[in-house]
Amino acid sequence: MIEDVQSLLDEEQEQMFASQSRARSTRTFNYDTYHTLEEIYDFMDLLVAENPQLVSKLQIGNSYEGRPIYVLKFSTGGSNRPAIWIDTGIHSREWITQASGVWFAKKITEDYGQDAAFTAILDNMDIFLEIVTNPDGFAYTHSKNRLWRKTRSLTSGSSCVGVDANRNWDAGFGMSGASSSPCSETYHGKSANSEVEVKSVVDFVNDHGNIKAFLSIHSYSQLLLYPYGYKTESPADKDELDQVAKSAVAALSSLYGTEYKYGSIITTIYQASGGSIDWTYNQGIKYSFTFELRDTGRYGFLLPASQIIPTAQETWLALLTIMEHTLNNPY
Amino acid sequence: MQPLRQPLPASRRGNPLPAAPLLALLLLLLALQEAAGAPAGSGGPEDSGWRQDTELPRQLLSQAARVALHFFNFRAGSPSALRMLAEVQESRAWINQKKERKVDLVFTTELYNPEEGNKRLGKCSARVFFRNEKPRPAVNVTCAQLIEKKKRHEEDYQLYKRMKQLQNPVDVVSIPDNHGHIDPSLKPIWDLAFLGSSYVMWEKTTQFLHYYMAQLSRVKQWKTNDDAIDFGYTVLLHEFSTQEIIPCHIHLVWYPGKPLKVKYHCQEVQTPEEASGTEEGSAVAPTELSNF
Repeated sequence: MIEDVQSLLDEEQEQMFASQSRARSTRTFNYDTYHTLEEIYDFMDLLVAENPQLVSKLQIGNSYEGRPIYVLKFSTGGSNRPAIWIDTGIHSREWITQASGVWFAKKITEDYGQDAAFTAILDNMDIFLEIVTNPDGFAYTHSKNRLWRKTRSLTSGSSCVGVDANRNWDAGFGMSGASSSPCSETYHGKSANSEVEVKSVVDFVNDHGNIKAFLSIHSYSQLLLYPYGYKTESPADKDELDQVAKSAVAALSSLYGTEYKYGSIITTIYQASGGSIDWTYNQGIKYSFTFELRDTGRYGFLLPASQIIPTAQETWLALLTIMEHTLNNPY
Repeated sequence: MQPLRQPLPASRRGNPLPAAPLLALLLLLLALQEAAGAPAGSGGPEDSGWRQDTELPRQLLSQAARVALHFFNFRAGSPSALRMLAEVQESRAWINQKKERKVDLVFTTELYNPEEGNKRLGKCSARVFFRNEKPRPAVNVTCAQLIEKKKRHEEDYQLYKRMKQLQNPVDVVSIPDNHGHIDPSLKPIWDLAFLGSSYVMWEKTTQFLHYYMAQLSRVKQWKTNDDAIDFGYTVLLHEFSTQEIIPCHIHLVWYPGKPLKVKYHCQEVQTPEEASGTEEGSAVAPTELSNF
C-alpha cells in the first residue's frame, strides 16, 4: 500500500481522538459520525447497562488477532425463540454498515414498547445483531488502510494477508466467484470456515438452531439480494423471496426516495461463491438476504458521515418488512 | 447490421412508445457516421454475425452507460459540468461470435455538482462497443445540453482561479478524508481529479471490469509557463467485480475551454480475474510506485 498514507492517517486519528470525548450514555452518543472499534464496544456496554431486561452481549469467539467478537442479543423472554440475525461489517471498509448497526441497536431499544408492529416482532422473536463482524479488519481500516476489506489472517507461503470473509462460507466454496490467490481481495481462504470470524458465526447459527432470517449487510451499490451467488439455479423459494425483496425495497424507498434494485446475487451483481447467505439458505434459513447500502459509486466506501442516519433509517424500514414477514410466515 | 431496415423492437423495459424514436434516431445517426468511417468498429453485415443479445446481464447496461459518461466527461473537459448516471431508459444489445458486445442506450444524467435545489436531468444516447475482454471500449455518445455554454465556461474559469490560488504542495492527506468529507476549499481538486480519472476509468473499462473513484492522495501542482493547471495526484480506483483497489498516478494539464491532457500509470497488483474463474498466475509483488 502507499507508504505515505500510513503516517498521515495516524495523524488524522490523533486529531479524531482529541476532538471526541467518550459518550457516557447512548443518549449522548454521536450516531452521525464514524467510530473506532473501542467506541463501538463501549457503546455496546452502555446499551446493555441501560437496557438490562432487553439487551445482552454475547461473545461468540475471538478474532485472528485476539479481539473479542460480540453479538448483541435482544430478547423479551422465552426460551430459544425463533430469531432474526443481522450482521454488519464483515467487510471492514464498508463503514456505513457498522455505523448503521450501531443505530439499529439503539433503535431497537427505543421502539420496543413504543411501536406496535415492532413490539409484536420482539414479543415473539429474538434479534441477534453482530455489529463488527470483522474486528481485525475494522481496526486496520482505522490504523493503517481505510480501504481494507478482508480479515487479517496470515497465509503460510504468502506475504499477503487476509481472507475475504464473504467468500469463506461453505456454499460453493472455491468455485468460480472467488479467488485462489492470497493477494486478491476476494481470496476465499485455504478451506471453508478457515476464518475464525466466519466459523464463530457458523457455530453460533448451528448451536442456536432456530434462526429464521439471516440478513448480511454490506456496501455499496444499493441492492437487496437473495441466493444464490455461486450458481445460476434459482432457490426453491425464489418467488417468495423476490416478493419480500420487492416490498422491502419499496419500504426503504418510501423514506427518502433512495432507489434500490433487487434480485438474486448472481443475476443482479455478479457471481460470488462461498457467501454467507448461500450457506444459511442451504441450511434451511429461508429468509436469507444481503443488503448493499448507499451509495452507487459517487462516494462509495467513503460515504459522508452526514448520510449515516438517513441510510440507517431507510434500511431499518426494509429490515422491518423482512422481520414482519418472517414473524407472519413461520416455518 | 442494417439498422435502417429493421423495425425497431419493443423495448424490454416496457417504456412508453414516445421514447423509442430517440433510439431510432441514434441508430440512424450512427449508421450515417459509420458510413463516414467512424472507428466504432462494427464492419459490415458479413463480419462476425451480430445477433441480438437477450442474455445481457442487467449490470452491463449501467456499466455501459457509466463508461459512456466517463468518455463524455473527459471529452467535454469541463470539471464544473461533470455528469453522472441517473437511469438507463432504453437499451438494445448485440453480441457476435467473438463475444464482442454492442450496446445502444438512452439514459438520463444528473449533474455531479447539482445547483442549489436544481436536480434537472439531462439526456444522453450512446453506443458502446466492448471488444470481448479488452479495455478501452469504443464509445459514441451524444448528450443534450444541460448547462448553458456561457455559464459552464464561467464556472470552469472560477474553478481554474481557485486552483491557481491553492498553496503548493497542497497541505492535505487525502480527499475525501476517511469519513467521506471534502473541505469546500479542496472541492476544485476533487472535481478536476474526477475529470482526469474519467479518462483513466474509460480506458480501463472492459465488459467485466468497471471502476469508481475511491480516494485521492499526494496532490501536487506545478507552475507552468502558459498559465495552464498542471497537476498530479494518486487516485485509488475501486475495481468491480474483483473488489481490488488500484492506485493510479495521474498527471493532467488543463486550461478552461481547452482539451484535457492526461498521462497516467496504474499499479497493476495482479491480473484481474474474470467471471469464468480462470486460475490466476502467481501473485506479483507490488512494484515501486513511480514518482512524478
